[in-house]
Parts: sequence; C-alpha cells; structure tokens
Amino acid sequence: MSNEPQQKAFPEPPPMVVCNWPKTWRFTNVQPTLSQCTVTMYGRLPVASNMSSAVGGAGGAGGGQGHEKMKIGFCTDLDKSVLVNNFEKRGWHQVNGDDDWHFYWAGVQTCRNIFSVDSGYRMHDNQMINHFPNHYELSRKDLLVKNIKRYRKDLERDGNPLAEKAESNNSSGTRYLYLDFVPTTFVLPADYNMFVEEYRKFPLSTWIMKPCGKSQGAGIFLINKLSKLKKWSREAKGPFHPQIAKESYVISRYIDNPLLIGGKKFDLRLYVLVTSFRPLKAYLFKQGFCRFCTVKYDTSVTELDNMYVHLTNVSVQKHGGEYNTLHGGKWSVQNLALYLEGTRGKEVTDRLFGAISWLIVHSLRAVAPVMASDRHCFECYGYDIIIDNALKPWLVEVNASPSLTSTTVNDRILKYKLIDNILSVVLPPDGVPDVRWNKIPSADALGNFELLIDEELVALDEAQNNTTSHNKPSKAGAGSRWK
Amino acid sequence: MEELQDASIHHSTAKVIAAIKNIKRYEPIYKELQRLVCTPNVDKNEMRATLETAIKTAGLETEIRNIIFNLVRTRLGKPQDKASAATTKQKSTQSDPVGYLKRAGVMWDRRVRKSLNAMCAELKVPLHGQPRISADREDFVAKWNELSSYNMDLANYRPVYAPKDLLDVFLSLKGPAKSGENTDQIPKWEFSHIALPVKNLFELRTHFADLLRSDNYMGVSDPKVQCQRILEAKHAPLCQQFLKKGCTPAPYRGALWASVLDTKLHDYDIEYWQKLRNAVWTTDHIVDKLVFKDIQLTASNDDQYFVFEDVLYQVMLCFSRDTEVANCVEYESFPVKGRIYEGPPSGVVPFHGICMFAAPFCYLYDSPMNLYFTFRAFYIRYCHRLTTINTHPQGIISLCLLFEKLLQTYEPELWSHFRELQIQPLRLVFKWLMRAFSGHLPPKQLLVLWDLILGFDSLEILSLFSIIILSFRKESIMQVNSLDSIEAILADLSSIKVLPLVQMALSRD
Repeated sequence: MSNEPQQKAFPEPPPMVVCNWPKTWRFTNVQPTLSQCTVTMYGRLPVASNMSSAVGGAGGAGGGQGHEKMKIGFCTDLDKSVLVNNFEKRGWHQVNGDDDWHFYWAGVQTCRNIFSVDSGYRMHDNQMINHFPNHYELSRKDLLVKNIKRYRKDLERDGNPLAEKAESNNSSGTRYLYLDFVPTTFVLPADYNMFVEEYRKFPLSTWIMKPCGKSQGAGIFLINKLSKLKKWSREAKGPFHPQIAKESYVISRYIDNPLLIGGKKFDLRLYVLVTSFRPLKAYLFKQGFCRFCTVKYDTSVTELDNMYVHLTNVSVQKHGGEYNTLHGGKWSVQNLALYLEGTRGKEVTDRLFGAISWLIVHSLRAVAPVMASDRHCFECYGYDIIIDNALKPWLVEVNASPSLTSTTVNDRILKYKLIDNILSVVLPPDGVPDVRWNKIPSADALGNFELLIDEELVALDEAQNNTTSHNKPSKAGAGSRWK
Repeated sequence: MEELQDASIHHSTAKVIAAIKNIKRYEPIYKELQRLVCTPNVDKNEMRATLETAIKTAGLETEIRNIIFNLVRTRLGKPQDKASAATTKQKSTQSDPVGYLKRAGVMWDRRVRKSLNAMCAELKVPLHGQPRISADREDFVAKWNELSSYNMDLANYRPVYAPKDLLDVFLSLKGPAKSGENTDQIPKWEFSHIALPVKNLFELRTHFADLLRSDNYMGVSDPKVQCQRILEAKHAPLCQQFLKKGCTPAPYRGALWASVLDTKLHDYDIEYWQKLRNAVWTTDHIVDKLVFKDIQLTASNDDQYFVFEDVLYQVMLCFSRDTEVANCVEYESFPVKGRIYEGPPSGVVPFHGICMFAAPFCYLYDSPMNLYFTFRAFYIRYCHRLTTINTHPQGIISLCLLFEKLLQTYEPELWSHFRELQIQPLRLVFKWLMRAFSGHLPPKQLLVLWDLILGFDSLEILSLFSIIILSFRKESIMQVNSLDSIEAILADLSSIKVLPLVQMALSRD
C-alpha cells in the first residue's frame, strides 16, 4: 500500500478529524478496517476518572444535587415488559401523559403531538422523550434517499474528497466511491421518468417496490419487467385502489447477489442510538442480529413473488411454515463475525464491519442538518442492512420505532439489555433525566454500546491537539449552511 | 512417542512402514518419489544424499514426518491395545479389575444396535437400507443443498439414545464387590470405586503446563504472524503446539485443526466424498431418518447453529455411510455370549445430539466436504470415546471419575452440599461432558475449548472445565436446595470465558 501519492492530494489532516477516514482508503479502494475506524473516526472514549474533571461539570454533578430525592415518573405508550421492567428497576413510577412525567417512551404520534405548535406543550429541563420530532427524515424511505442524495451533492459541490466518484458499470455511469451505500432508488410517481431511463440501461435487473409509509414488509413487491410496473400503476389509478394512488413508493435496485449463509438470505438488524444530531452523537449496540429467511434463496423468476425467499422481516417470515419459534431465524452478529473470520479471513470481516459503521455515520450526517436536534430527545433506530456476496453492506432502511416485541428467550434478554443500556447512555450519571448534562457518558455507562461518533469529542480533541485549522472538517460548515 | 523410545526402535520402524503402506496417501507419495528419482538433481552416484535433498526441497519430508506423527498418535496405538487385550483375555477375565466395564461397553453397544434392529423390525424397513425409488431419488438429489425442505414423516422415529440413558447405565455400573467391604457404605451414586487411573490436579497442572507459558515462537509475539509461519512450515506437531495456547486466531483455526488431524484434502478425499454422497443418493437407510430427526431436534432449534442445518444434513448423512469410520473407531472387546447385531455402515448408531459434534465445524469451513474430513477425524479420535462405554484413559467413564475425584478433593463443600441433597453431581455435568460442551458454550468459546482438546490431545480438559464452572458458580449453588434450581444456575453458559477460567484454575495454589 503506497502512502506517497496521497500526501499531495490530501495534506496532513489532524489525526482525529472525521473526514480523513477515506485517506487510508482512497488508494487501496477498500473500506477501512475496524482498527482504523477506531483511531480516525470514533473519536476518543472519555475515561471514567478524567470525565468528572474534564467535562463533567456542566450537567451531571450540578443538576444532580438539586433533585436528590426527586421521584421520577415515566410514561409509555407501549405496554412492553422490556420497557416497564427497566423503568421499574430504576425505581421510577408510572404516570399518565397528562401528569408530570420525566421520561416518556412514546409512539411517534404522541411525540409529534407533544412537539406540535398547537399543543402548546413546553417541556422542562427534567424531561426526556425517545423520538426526535422529525425522525421521518431518516425513517421514511423516500426522505432518507432524498437526504442522502442531497448530502452527497453538497459534499461534491464543496469539493470534499468524500464525494469522489468513479466510473461504474452497474449504475448510471459513475458512482460515489465512499458514499455508495444505498441501492439506486427513485421515488414514484415523482421520479418515474428517471427510473425508466435507468431501467432501460439495465433491463435485466430486478427492482423492489416499497410503499414509503409502511413498515414490516407490507406492500412490498418485486419487479423485473417495466410492463409489470405499468400494469400496477394502471390498477392503482383505477377506482378500486384509491389508497395506493395517494401513496408514494420508492423503487430500488434489488440486491440480487446477497451474501448467503447455509444457502439462506439474511439481513442485519442493528440498533443505533442517537443522543444528539448537532453535534452528532451516535452509538452502535454491539448485539445486533441477522434475520434469516426460512427458505433457500432463489432468484428464478418463478420465485419472484415468493416473499419468504426475499424478505427477511420477522413479521413476514413468521407466517411461513418453516418459522422456528425457538430461535425465530435470528443469529447474532457476533456469530456472523466468527463465521466470516473463520471462512473468509479477518481483514475482510473487519472491513465489512468498518464499512457498516461508516454507512451508519454518514446516513446520520446526511440527515443531521435537517433534524430538529431537540435537547429533550434521543432516539434508537433499527438499521436494516443487507450484505452482498462481495461483503459490501447496503442500507435498506431505518426504523425509528424498532420492534420491542420479543420473539424468543434470547431476543427478550437482548431487548431488555438494549433498553437498559439506552437508559444508561441517555441519562446523566445520577440517573435523573436532565437536558442540561453534556451527554458524554462514561465508558462504563455505555454497556454494550460502542461510540460511533461524537463530534463534540472530536472537536475537543482537535482543540487539545491545537492543530492549525488548515483542514477543517467540512461537516461543521455544512451544518450551519442548511440551518 | 514414549513407546517409540521404549520399544525397540526397529520394531516400531517396521510397524510404521507397514502402516504407511496401507494408507491412501502412500501411492501418491510413492509416485512423487519416483518422479524425484528421475529428476536431474538426483545423482545416481550419490543417490542417498541427493535424493534426501530432493525429498526435502520438494516438501515431501515434512509430509512424511506428518504422516508418521499421525500414525503414531492414532493407528499404532491400536495393535498394542489388542495385544494387551489378548493377554488380559488369557488371564482370567475375572481378575481384570475393569473387566466388568469392558463387558458393560460391549453390552451397551449391543443394546444400542439391538434397539436399532428392533426399530427396523417395527417399522418394517430393512436394516441394510433399500434403493431409493427413482422419484424419491430425483427429489432427494434436487434438494441435496436444501434438505431441510425434503419432506418425510418422522413421527415414528425417536433417537436411539440420549445422554441421560448413557448416564443411567453409568450410575448403575457395579464393580465386583471386594470381600470384606461393606458395600452399603458406598453411596449408590458414587463413582469413585471404579478402578481406572485418573490424574489429580497436580498431574493435570503438569499436563497443561504449556497453557500458562507465554513463550514466543520464532521471536514473534503476534499470534497471527506466528500462525502464518507455522502453517507455512506445515509441521503438524508445531500446529498442535500452537493450539495449546488457546488463543488461535479464527481465520487460521480450520487449517490448524486439519493439520493436527491430518485431514488436508487430497484428490482421493474428494472422490471418496462423492462416493459417500452417491451412496446416500441411491439408498434409503433407516439411519437417514435418525439423522434428520436428530438435526431437527437439536441443531435446527439452536440459535447458534440453525443457519447450518442444510450443511449438517449432508455431513451427517455421508458420515452414516462411511465404512472407514467403522474401521477406525475403537470398540471395547470382551467375550460376551449372545447374538451379534449389525449396525449402520459407519458402525455408529446416531444418538440424540450426534450432529452437535459436527455443528461447530461449520464456523471453520464453508463447504460440507472441507468440513467433513476434519470432523470425521475429530469424531473418531475424541467424540467416540465420549459416547460409548469404554475404559480408555480419556473415555467418558474416566472423565466422569476424574470429575468426581476433583470435585471431592478441591470443592469438598460443593461435594457435601450435593451429598446432603442426594444429588448426583454427574447429573449436572454429564451432558456437558458427553457433548464436549457443544451446544452449551457459545461457539466462540467452544472453539477455544476444542483448541485445547486438540492441542493437548486430551479430553481431560472437559472434566476440569466442568469443575471450574461449578466452582465459579459455587456461591449461587450453595444457596439453593434442589436439582432444578442448581440446573437453572448452570443452564446459561453464555458469559463463560474458557481461557481465563482454565488458566486461573491451573495456576492457583
């Protein structure tokens, strides 16, 4: 691996700057390994001991003394035991939404109501809620794609090396070298003409249609002929399906070369916790899982309509005859890593997981400027990722309310731990909801979360290193421009 | 290796040479040698010296060394056992202190085969199998890569035996009562009266001493680099030595295991695999049903292994047809009157959980064929001793005995706690021992444990590790008073880390 040419193209970025990641990357044209990520991207984890002296003054300690004996009221729209048990374990008591609550695990609608201007509700400093008001910028399939496209264009316009492009033979001529992590997607009916143009270039490829607003695999179907889409569109316009006509759809290039294990297709469900969008603070839960289809993967046309082959959603697979209730088709990400290391080697495995972190961080950065980064909010996203047989991860969609229903015993343990860890990351060290704290959890508080990115820590590091600002991360600038 | 030094070296050499001539590899090596002799590097005037050099440079020397290493480990042990068995036979069988165990072994094996025969009779299927009818055969071949979708009615099939059945036989084993001994004083569930020699903790520490040593190989400390160099050198003993550290990097494990077990793929292995596969395709055998049933009862439901279901069908079906297995596994021999029952082609009657011995290999190899030969060698060398009644120093009986003695000596509190509760300690750990922890430890840790089995070429680690877990959870165990509660405490091993616990146990004073 030669290091010489890049010196010219990319002069000496400070070691902790976020956008120097591709530096290690651009000439080898491979994604970074895990260790490289840790050094260059994740920033630095604060050690518990120097936490209090360096950064702990603002929120945790100060706020804690005031409400020493404060009784914490929680409220939840979801009657899930993994939630309630966790709240009660912390000695909180349940209250109604109308009462004075401190912690609200709300459905997205409640959250929207609370934040709507009409409600006139104003949250106080000791209240936290589990959604950002406009999470749909990330979780709606059409908006996610729109935001990512804009993010890439903006970077490109700024001449940011992240937005570098290369010739490609499987999409529209060129593709982004580092930001090509969502399959080519168009919104229908708006982008219909663009889609047709793309379709004509690759008439043999398969496309997947998804309604923008639905989840859990509802309303999804595959298309490999334009005529099928036309037929669908005619029917949708007809009098029998008025609801479809109103709805917008996304159509994406179908990943028809997924990585198969034991001959079966799977996708990854990873949990990502965001405690702030500006500065971006995000954490990845280490215990994600793979969701397997119950039947062998088969690309033949006859199986195109068999959703048990193509969709990994548990809500779809559950209805298949082969669904196993003991494991629910769920296989831990740790086992996936062990298998890949054993059969494919460590480098490619590390590269895959590095690329997954990369994809998550940039999807979040893409929406960060448009997100209402309210101090009261945090959000746990369910990231759905498909890995293709070249071990490249593709972002399929992001869910703002990942299912907390437990399908198996282990699933229950996992989700209980997830909620517990979320609480310990979002709450100040004294455990009392308080928006004034600096949102820099100690290493112990992270539990099974690992830091993906904390722009504040990165900035702190930069300040400490006192590096000259010759290569300022373009992200900071981008953020303010969109505001 | 000791035998080599003790017995006359010439005798051993003759045996090795005879054995080499009988292995599949002999012919290719011989041909390669013939080819070497014809090369210009070999000078007929200095035949010996030049040929030796040529053999070395061609890498043939390492290969021959590895073959000898493996032969000494495996097959050469056997004739001697037979010889000693013959001598014991000459002595009166009465005086053999473990004669009753050998007898039990033979009886057990017969019982298992008898129930297989009975099952055949009941279901009216021939024991030798029958040709698949063409429709079934086509279906079977078409679904070979997704046998989970191959439909058949398994309602009438049950596993021939489960760990519990074997344990019950163990617990009922009675040695010849020594005269003047009051047999009432020996609790019924105690095992310690069995006259098999087992190691004490001191001897175990000596045996596993390398585990605590942190020496570098060739002055490198990075395990990855060490591994690469060792694999380049291709020396099986070096590979084995490396596994002793218990810190094998996952990407190299498959190659290291194959090297230690001498199962690197050759052309004839590929042919042999295809032969086994064809045998499965063409004949329908009762063990097929048992294999399917077993996988469906165990691996298919296991959240660590279910993704490999279809791989396991292939592997276990081929295993059932493999007559080489029947030739390699060691059975107890003891003169017992009565009918001899036939078994399946491999001689191994599938029992509940047999596929769990193959399942962990799915994390090492990505094709069933690659997996098969290493699994088979592992099964023959280790698993077989865990699932039959035998007097091998590392057989399941010895392991049970080792477990009990260690528990009695080093965890007397637990021992008396169990005794007060009238709980047989073996009941708690037997399934761990018999399955070598497969299905109990998460794969990542299980593979470390199996690294140690291969590295030290010893199953004794299983008994030791069982004690360690009990000891680790002692406080909780002491607080409860029923078998169910104790089992609940021991049910979840997902947080157990093998290496630090074993190291701790071996190094403490």
